[in-house]
Amino acid sequence: MNKELEHSFVEQLQKHQNIVHKVCRLYTNNADAHNDLFQEITIQLWKAYPKFRGDSKFSTWMYRVGLNTAITLYRKSKRRINTQEFENVQFKIKAEEYDDTEEQQLKLLYKAVHQLNDIEKALVFLYLEDKDYREISETLGITEVNARVKMNRVKKKLKTILNP
Amino acid sequence: MDELELLKKDWQSGETDFKSYTDSDIYPMLHRKSSSIVKTLFYISIGELVFWLLASVLPYMLSTTFREKLDESYENPLFIGISIFSYLVILLFIYLLFRSYKGISSTDSAKKLMESILRTRKIIKFYVIFNLTLFFLSIPLSLYFEYQDNPEFHQQIVEASTTQMLVFYAVSAFTAGFIILILWLFYRLIYGILLKRLNRNYKELKKLEV
Repeated sequence: MNKELEHSFVEQLQKHQNIVHKVCRLYTNNADAHNDLFQEITIQLWKAYPKFRGDSKFSTWMYRVGLNTAITLYRKSKRRINTQEFENVQFKIKAEEYDDTEEQQLKLLYKAVHQLNDIEKALVFLYLEDKDYREISETLGITEVNARVKMNRVKKKLKTILNP
Repeated sequence: MDELELLKKDWQSGETDFKSYTDSDIYPMLHRKSSSIVKTLFYISIGELVFWLLASVLPYMLSTTFREKLDESYENPLFIGISIFSYLVILLFIYLLFRSYKGISSTDSAKKLMESILRTRKIIKFYVIFNLTLFFLSIPLSLYFEYQDNPEFHQQIVEASTTQMLVFYAVSAFTAGFIILILWLFYRLIYGILLKRLNRNYKELKKLEV
């Protein structure tokens, strides 16, 4: 039974692992930290999995556990040394689409997002994932109105970071 | 906002940018050790429980004179009352802590999860305050028992001058206060470091409600 559960979990996680990777991408700035957070989110997902009833989509459920781990549960390990920055890994330049200004703009945008605080990052993450305000508010535990207000503030803040 | 839309486009197209884990990469991950703050909090609370239990039991086990004295003290109903009370509090603490840990769920909303963790931390805090209070009260109480039961000590107190008594009170109060202050700062430090990020994020969410 346990093996079966493990198997179905790994299969689903493998399929949807990009969600976890994306959370890690926002909340960490180097490859080691990324892997550590991925590891912790996997453990938290696996711990919560027996209670996953399937009444929500597996991916929706992952957003919650993933963000909760990144914002609240994860205790950064001390052994990590923040040397290797992520930038080079993250921005694969696709030859056919290469556009100097757009590329540059994206680089700055990602940098700006990294300067936001944990909660603001969560809002941006859900926004980028195309979640509506109802889901954003439910995931964070705030009202829909407040989620909208906060999102507008985050947009303004990003603007200020980009054009100081 | 144009920039955010640009980011969204890139975000949603960049699906293959990460190292894709295979099934055999993921299996061992399930069995590695978690480094979540809930786990750390759990170990700390167990540590507190053991520490205060040992603090009350060890002197009794290690020192014969202390044991004899304590056995005598058990003839006093007040002392028995306090002991029973403190053991009940320990049981209550274990129950509340257990219930509180059960209530922490990573599938709750971010705010609710933070609240359950903070509630757990509060329970541990009350337990610490209770123990520190008991410790503080135990000093005048034990002096009182000593005064009652030890004729030599009784005589010394009776013969002491007012200045000597004042110095005696001051030294006892200062020592007790100092030990408690050190312990309190120690706790503040542990929880302060552990929950710094959580507190900051919780404040950020709460701020939205104002």
